[in-house]
Amino acid sequence: MAENSGTDPAVETNTEENAAASATIIKVTVKTPKDKEEIAIAEDSSVSQFKEEISKRFKANQDQLVLIFAGKILKDGDTLGQHGIKDGLTVHLVIKTAQKTSGGGSSQTSASSGPGPSQGNTDGSANSSPAGNLGTPQGSGPSPTPTQPPNMLAGFGDLSGLANLGMGSANFMELQQQMQRQLMSNPEMLSQIMENPLVQSMMSNPDLMRQMIVANPQMQQLMERNPEISHMLNNPELMRQTMELARNPAMMQEMMRNQDRALSNLESIPGGYNALRRMYTDIQEPMFSAAREQFGNNPFSALGGNADNSGAQPSRTENREPLPNPWGPPDTAATTTSGTATTTSSTTSSTTPSVSNPLGISSSSLGNGMFNSPGMQSLMQQISENPQLMQNMLSAPYMRTMMQSLAQNPDIASQAPTPTPAPTPTPAAGTNTAQQQLMQQMLQMFAGGNASTPTPEVRFQQQLEQLSAMGFINREANLQALIATGGDINAAIERLLGSQPS
Amino acid sequence: MTRDVTLSYAFGFVQKKMAASSGVKVPRNFRLLEELEEGQKGVGDGTVSWGLEDDEDMTLTRWTGMIIGPARTNYENRIYSLKVECGPKYPEVPPTVRFVTKISMNGINNSNGMVDARSIPILAKWQNSYSIKVVLQELRRLMMSKENMKLPQPPEGQTYSN
Repeated sequence: MAENSGTDPAVETNTEENAAASATIIKVTVKTPKDKEEIAIAEDSSVSQFKEEISKRFKANQDQLVLIFAGKILKDGDTLGQHGIKDGLTVHLVIKTAQKTSGGGSSQTSASSGPGPSQGNTDGSANSSPAGNLGTPQGSGPSPTPTQPPNMLAGFGDLSGLANLGMGSANFMELQQQMQRQLMSNPEMLSQIMENPLVQSMMSNPDLMRQMIVANPQMQQLMERNPEISHMLNNPELMRQTMELARNPAMMQEMMRNQDRALSNLESIPGGYNALRRMYTDIQEPMFSAAREQFGNNPFSALGGNADNSGAQPSRTENREPLPNPWGPPDTAATTTSGTATTTSSTTSSTTPSVSNPLGISSSSLGNGMFNSPGMQSLMQQISENPQLMQNMLSAPYMRTMMQSLAQNPDIASQAPTPTPAPTPTPAAGTNTAQQQLMQQMLQMFAGGNASTPTPEVRFQQQLEQLSAMGFINREANLQALIATGGDINAAIERLLGSQPS
Repeated sequence: MTRDVTLSYAFGFVQKKMAASSGVKVPRNFRLLEELEEGQKGVGDGTVSWGLEDDEDMTLTRWTGMIIGPARTNYENRIYSLKVECGPKYPEVPPTVRFVTKISMNGINNSNGMVDARSIPILAKWQNSYSIKVVLQELRRLMMSKENMKLPQPPEGQTYSN
């Protein structure tokens, strides 16, 4: 009947605090690796009360506090007495920084070996991670935002996983978002994906890569505006190098670092600054926007603004200071340039920067942009709708042979590339033929390129004839050269001449 | 702690003082009691912690330890939980150490977290003056070595199943 529920057991924490004076107060030392504080607390307090005091003293959120005593982590529900914490003893404190998930997050991102990440974890909670390893200048840590783009790359890594969820789950976009999130947060997973032979074979086929890149409408726009880019794309050597890079995140990081260094040195050369700016605004910006449009902001968008402020006169001395951390928290993310120089646009010095990563293909952004085309999605749709196809994909270790048998069975193979009429999410019908081609090639590639595909000999028939007319009689060598250069006669000739025995 | 243990500790302390000066081997329990007290007092820089796994454990055999991952490594900001077992011959023989929290590190078995005594210098060349604290601190130091600091780590919060 009492309106005043001060003595109500439901608010016992309050009363306990008020009654703290009556229990024995003990002085406990709380030690962090950096700091030490003595905190007076009632002997019979609970750990959460203790944490409350600590959060006030250390000015940190209670959720960020992890207390350790005698080798054990103190849980909120325990009492100090339970652990034997007495007057004069020391408790260790770890304050978790904000970007991690809160204490001991048992994430279920189990990276299965073989066909990439499994989709067991549907809430996609991001892990604390050295996200920088991925070589993507992302802003903040991988916080799951619903607008994150689907990651087709991961999709390819784990078609079987898709199959498990494909039918029932909401839509592919979400799936891939989650996969992408997991991917971003776990570099280990990424390297596993990279090691997946499927992905690797895909990456080692320059034609395929080129087609994929070209299929992206933004890329097409970009290419129209900057013909240099299409030159780059057509240079198979370059593509190969880039893909090699993309495959190896560590190498990629190294390369990016060198690029950044070289670029920053470029600044000090007379006129170099302008060249850099030009380079950036003409090429880099739209490319990055295209490649990372939905990755949150373009991390370089602010760079343009900053560049103005950072002074019109770059210092004449070599820039020795360390580059800002591109993978740091968002406010510092803007101040970095990533090395994506094009050969033709660096007019000031021909030696630097080397074109090692012309398209800025980072292993993770590959999933975005390039793959984010309706064709891919409809392919996925195909697969999930055609149970036989999916079945084949499911037996992952035998995927190759399955694909081969798949390709040999012309019915299924022809069935697959054709987008089904109504239920596809594909908007533009105009892109259909391009997509079909793409998918067909993909399947061919999966199958290891068997007889049903036009062999290089057939494809390069015309070029071969030309070469032999010019006097290159070694047909084998010609063919090799043509394959290596992707059909470019001039480049093939150079190759042949270069390798001719003296 | 029960009164018995405390009493024996008091005696042990005196005995140890005498023993240290005369070079006599220190009895196991007294040593462990001392380590227990050190663990509770938080000796050191606060980056490792250890204590009895079960406060009623009269044999003082099973201990839990905790290492806070050093900064600027892939172990940063993580808290690693360990189990240390001090056998009957401790401190003449080194304790067996096992990680409970999953970790990727040279000398640690990937599937069960056992610390390979041959790969960790102080376990391989154990001296009876070493202690649990020393072992934990050494493991932490190894986390900062070039060969370990950049090893990709499993997601946080995973433990070995045994």
